[in-house]
Amino acid sequence: MIKIIAACGAGVNSSHQIKDALEKEMKKRGYDVHCDAVMIKDLNEGLLDGYDIYAEIAKTDMSFTPKIPVVDAGAILYRMPAMAKPVYDKVEAIIKKEGLK
Amino acid sequence: MLQAIIHWSNVIFNPIIKLGAAPIMLIVLTLIAWAVGVNFFHALEGGIKLGIALTAISSIIGLLTGAFQPAVEAFVKSTGLHLGTTDLGWAPLATITWGSPYTLFFLLILVIVNIAMLVMHLTDTLDVDIFDVWHMSFTGLLAIYFGANLLTGTLFVVFIGIMKIFNSDLMKPTFNDLLDNWDNPMTTTHLNYMMNPLIMVFNKIFDVVFPWLDKYDFDAAKLNEKIGFWGSRYAIGIYLGIFIGILGHQPVGTIFTLAFTAATCLELFSIIGSWFIASVEPLSQGITDFATKHLNGRVFNIGLDWPFMAGRAEIWAAANVLAPIMLAEALILPGNSILPLGGIIGMGVTPALLIVTRGRLIRMIVIGALELPLFLWAGSLSAPFVTTTAKKIAPNMLKGVGSHAMISSSTKEGPIEQFLAYLLGKGQGGDMKMLMFFFLAMVAYVALFMWYRHEMLKRNTEYAKQGHKVNPDVMLKNKAAAAK
Repeated sequence: MIKIIAACGAGVNSSHQIKDALEKEMKKRGYDVHCDAVMIKDLNEGLLDGYDIYAEIAKTDMSFTPKIPVVDAGAILYRMPAMAKPVYDKVEAIIKKEGLK
Repeated sequence: MLQAIIHWSNVIFNPIIKLGAAPIMLIVLTLIAWAVGVNFFHALEGGIKLGIALTAISSIIGLLTGAFQPAVEAFVKSTGLHLGTTDLGWAPLATITWGSPYTLFFLLILVIVNIAMLVMHLTDTLDVDIFDVWHMSFTGLLAIYFGANLLTGTLFVVFIGIMKIFNSDLMKPTFNDLLDNWDNPMTTTHLNYMMNPLIMVFNKIFDVVFPWLDKYDFDAAKLNEKIGFWGSRYAIGIYLGIFIGILGHQPVGTIFTLAFTAATCLELFSIIGSWFIASVEPLSQGITDFATKHLNGRVFNIGLDWPFMAGRAEIWAAANVLAPIMLAEALILPGNSILPLGGIIGMGVTPALLIVTRGRLIRMIVIGALELPLFLWAGSLSAPFVTTTAKKIAPNMLKGVGSHAMISSSTKEGPIEQFLAYLLGKGQGGDMKMLMFFFLAMVAYVALFMWYRHEMLKRNTEYAKQGHKVNPDVMLKNKAAAAK
């Protein structure tokens, strides 16, 4: 299973939209993806270590450099399929490149 | 004829209204989502989720107030502080507001206003943050609670709605600057940014009097890392349970129960909050599809919920530092009845501070401390409304505690708008003095916004001079004025 983490203000709204959209679309493309949604302020190095990809809304200031690939997933929030597609493509490219399962 | 209509609408609607909030909202939300073109079963899924979320949140409110109200009463008695209002944070307030069919009415009106503004080229922002319409509905319902009627309440909501959309255009270049990305459509009409004009006044004072303070700014990301889990939701629940328990002279066992109950409820509020958003999701998508289909060819900015800025560490550093400051202020502030708990991490406060100060942390904290009393007062003012409305959804809530026991939120967005709603309601209720204050306050509100608008146009013109792409609509028309 490929584990993705999304984060937003309360871990409730924007990050859940990203989670739902990524899980749905990646399943459609044939990948077994699980995405968690958390508060941005709860992100830390240890937490990110448990995931394969970090799907951020926009640039995130962190006191460390994430070791896992980071994808800009903000476009999912625009609710327009054409704008969200590059995000899914990027996630798929990372899955293929890193050989994630 | 009219009699017959009234008779039949009573026959049809009364049994539905008697069912209670959760079934009403199941029916109303499903039908409205279906009406904007969502597949019926998706619409129904949203409606069912809303019913579940309403039921869940009312039982968690019951759990929290049931455990806390006796301790809070003892706290009030032993300390002499009149802080009998339990602070639940934003999620229960959102729930209570989404439990009212009026919220969907205000949503409909505001979507029409937004589309009309786009068609008339008054804005470039298409708001897709449907869930957060509850902020506007809350403000309108508050005015109605205090005595406004549906017409004036709606006009008031429309007025604030228009101002918010103007503000989202004005802020757009600043968002680009803070995200360091000049090619994205993200903006927001979130109500918390209507504090910007007032914050801008303080920021100006800072520019003139204390500019040297800025050099003491520290690294927000590092501070947040040090605070770590000590600033998490459940840790805060634990502290406040212990705080109230000790000052209320509770036995040790009860103190533990309070601490764990608070932590449990704060965690559950946010989980249930996500169910809410999921329940409105089909409707949000339906409205967006409808709007984009009918406005094809236009390039817009897209109004999202505020957290696309949440990656900026200053928001969290300021909220963490302001939490204990708010607790101290709550204890000494005259006229405040709220004991901060669920809302103590002020996410309804700090994003606006970030935008106006552009991330100068000391300013965010100082201005935040200065404006927090407004939030506490507004929360105290709206507590009777929140409590009354919540009782309709959760009739068993606050059972067995004193009648003065109330619930509210300490950092609800839009405190100034809540004061305006109060003045409007009281004024329309027949208090001429309040009505006069309402008009004076509206004049001051608009005047302050116009000054703020001018400041933002100046800022945006500066961005353009630095070579960034800025929409000419949000720049000064007269470059000479910028140079002055």
